[in-house]
Amino acid sequence: MNATHSRLSQPPFMKLAPFAALCAALVLPLATYAADSAAPARVTLKPIKFVEYDLPNGLHVILHENHTAPVTSTYLLYHVGAKNERPDRTGFAHFFEHLMFEGSDNIPRGTIDKLISGAGGNLNASTSFDQTDYFFNVPENELKLALWIESERMLHSKIDETGVETQRKVVKEEKRMRYDNQPYGSLFEQLAKLVFAGTPYSWVPIGSVQYIDQATIEEFRDFYKTYYLPNNATLAIAGDFDLEATKKLVADYFGDIPRGPDIKRPTVEMPPQTAPVTTDVKEAKTPLNASMHAWHAVPETHPDAYALELLGSILSSGRSSRLYKRMVEKEQAALNVEAFPFLLENAGLLGVFATGQQGVSLEQLDKLIDEEVEKVKAEGVTEEEFRKALNQEEAQFASGFGTMSTRARNLARYHTFYGDTNLINTELDRYFAVKREDLQRVAKQYLTKEGVNILRYPAPEAPAAPATK
Amino acid sequence: MKTLSLALLAALSTTAFAAIDRTKKPDPDPAPAASFPDYRTETLPNGLKVFVIEDDRKPTVNFRFIIRSGTATDGAKTGTAQFVAGLLNRGTEKRDAATFAVETDSIGVRVEGAAGPDGISVAASGLTKYTDQLLDLLSDALLHPTFPEDQFVRLQRQTLSALNAEKQQPESLANKLSGKVMYGSFPYGDYLTPEAVKALKREDLAAFHHTYFLPNNASLAIVGDVKAAEILPLIQKTFGGWTKGEIPALKLPEIPQIHGLTIHLVDRPGSVQSNIIVCATGPARNFPDLPEVNVLTSTLGGGFSGRLFQNLREKHGWTYGSSCAFDYKKLAGTFEAQAETRNEVTAPAVSEILKEIARIRDEAATDKEISLQRQYNVGNYLLSLENSGRTAQRVQDIDLYGLPTDFYKTYARRMSETTPAKVQELAKKYLPTSDIAVIVVGEAKEIQPELEKIGKVVVYDQDLKPVAK
Repeated sequence: MNATHSRLSQPPFMKLAPFAALCAALVLPLATYAADSAAPARVTLKPIKFVEYDLPNGLHVILHENHTAPVTSTYLLYHVGAKNERPDRTGFAHFFEHLMFEGSDNIPRGTIDKLISGAGGNLNASTSFDQTDYFFNVPENELKLALWIESERMLHSKIDETGVETQRKVVKEEKRMRYDNQPYGSLFEQLAKLVFAGTPYSWVPIGSVQYIDQATIEEFRDFYKTYYLPNNATLAIAGDFDLEATKKLVADYFGDIPRGPDIKRPTVEMPPQTAPVTTDVKEAKTPLNASMHAWHAVPETHPDAYALELLGSILSSGRSSRLYKRMVEKEQAALNVEAFPFLLENAGLLGVFATGQQGVSLEQLDKLIDEEVEKVKAEGVTEEEFRKALNQEEAQFASGFGTMSTRARNLARYHTFYGDTNLINTELDRYFAVKREDLQRVAKQYLTKEGVNILRYPAPEAPAAPATK
Repeated sequence: MKTLSLALLAALSTTAFAAIDRTKKPDPDPAPAASFPDYRTETLPNGLKVFVIEDDRKPTVNFRFIIRSGTATDGAKTGTAQFVAGLLNRGTEKRDAATFAVETDSIGVRVEGAAGPDGISVAASGLTKYTDQLLDLLSDALLHPTFPEDQFVRLQRQTLSALNAEKQQPESLANKLSGKVMYGSFPYGDYLTPEAVKALKREDLAAFHHTYFLPNNASLAIVGDVKAAEILPLIQKTFGGWTKGEIPALKLPEIPQIHGLTIHLVDRPGSVQSNIIVCATGPARNFPDLPEVNVLTSTLGGGFSGRLFQNLREKHGWTYGSSCAFDYKKLAGTFEAQAETRNEVTAPAVSEILKEIARIRDEAATDKEISLQRQYNVGNYLLSLENSGRTAQRVQDIDLYGLPTDFYKTYARRMSETTPAKVQELAKKYLPTSDIAVIVVGEAKEIQPELEKIGKVVVYDQDLKPVAK
């Protein structure tokens, strides 16, 4: 069970003599950087094996059995997020995530964490635009507990006034802490409002607090009945368990939860943008000028998603990237700069965000971003840059799925949003299938002059110096 | 097909009701043992200690040097360690900054330095197929940095901008002031100021590097898909020629004693929330009671089931989170309990934190509560063993802080044997009664009057200069 046991009997290697002998045997020279040397072969990733199936009630189950450590992670993804909310009930999905820790018919209020902590585990949950997820990490002997709690919450979570009142206050503090009390804290809210205007992506998961205050307890219960259904969920379990026994446990705990009506999914339609938009957000707490340039991009499953990711990497990933070299190093105009594709289930954007150095104007930041974007559109990327971006992607992919909890999360996400769980093993191929020319093409296609949204945070002017000294 | 799935559904439902009792928490299976993973220790003739942890889950390798130095060894020039760490990969005898950046980015590897209070870490990570290149880049950054003038000036300028931004970040203000209050002129309390940044010279960096970057003042942990017998000769070849030297003794000022309760309030106009840290003096990292004290701190303020979270969040709805921990450094430590609360409940929140500290000293906890917290600590330690990077850090901690070599062999057992009486005894020994510094960052005009009722209030501006009343 515990793979590390087997090595305990090995005698410690302490004496110098054999060590020196080993060193003497080493005659390989260190590799040098020859520009024309052939690229090393693609890394071979150990396949992450899994089985997946649907329960008759529609719950999708993914099991990854792995005995490297006595640890099991469960990850339950409900396919509901902020974009499923009504415009006059924003923040609902996230608020509901808090309510899911209240209890169930069989779990007394406020004891879910005590159960998991008392079993030596930990838990959390999160809400984004497209999904709400719940995760437990437990010692392998407590898998039943995790399944019991998740199935209780899916079957008959309990929503009462006490819990709702407390969590209303807590969520307001969460919003103040993460957003309202931080410099640039409103950035994402402003960005979504601007780029995704007119769509259910135009508000962020934290939402607006007044809607949570206005909602009745019946509305919360309706939300639960509409979305917290086995046919709207994916359960991934990764770690140290027996496959057949676990299949049976999953059936035992989740099999009797009734299927519900199909979910009505919102549609996201973004008419092409015909003129650039600039918005200034003036806040007293903004310490340095900062500017965001953002364009409509594509949903995460669109074939161009991979070219856009590679383009983002060439623009800002690493100190040899274009924007870093130009804005941070050469011109020393920016404290930091980042180009990031933000791709969702039904829409996406590509943003470039730069925070200026002290005394650098917004016009200067905007000009530099604009020049680098126009340059990549006009000239494309070099072969060297292209290979570098692929190598960075390869390294990230290889180091990305180490823990059971990251494996469970990604298995569930690949199934839910891509309909292909095995992408956890094969998605890297899609990056390597991109052609260098694609990067210039997507830059031209998406980063248009008329389609740019510029969101600026001007730092308030320092008070004018007194006239006399 | 339809008939079949209906039949299957019926079968499952029957099994479900027969197999489990939903009304009760399921019993766990026998618990797995939390044994510390095996690793290999080697000491090179020049004194460099090397630890190897083999982990073949991913085709990657991480090298992490810890140099015993850091802000504690800054001497008169605050910020030296931080600048040294930040510039190691920005120009070496073999490569200028741009070349170093291209070579690392091109193969998707990272080589980065970072300074802490007691150590500078220099870490390199990448795919195992690039091990040779990675070691070449790492040794170049570690042993042959040149701290070029242009990069030094750039970093100075960037740091000045960053410091300006930090004046608006509430958690940054709170952390700086707590260090200053708790440590006075002892280097753990030092933070960068514009004056300190301007006073730095690049010669200071070269001298610091020359003094502290010695093999007999360092340890190296290697984690990844490597075999000790293969990687150790490579290490000897790469770092065997690094010459040992004499490590100067540190002359440090006394750490001030805190007397009575004082509230240190940073006025940050416009704040919609107060950042609170309740501070007291604590032990250094190598004190003898750490495993048992973990149970104490988690009972008071660990995770979602800790008393501070239960009281301030779940009972009162005043905060998104509240927790406490000891911040153990090599030569000293502090106790810190924190929360972020809306302005109008700032003073009551401080009172409740003080009350909870007193309660855990004055009353023995129930066995039920301590048993939960024991399990929480032991189980989460077990879960953390999945992460081999964490294991490497622990092994290096034993070396850096001078812990007993069997520290992690007995760690889980000691936490699992901690009784309520022991928790109370340790609370009396290590938690403060009256010598307490309360740090608050927030809107003074709204929160100061109520805070005055708790204790003496000293007000600071956002430059952390005391404000005359």
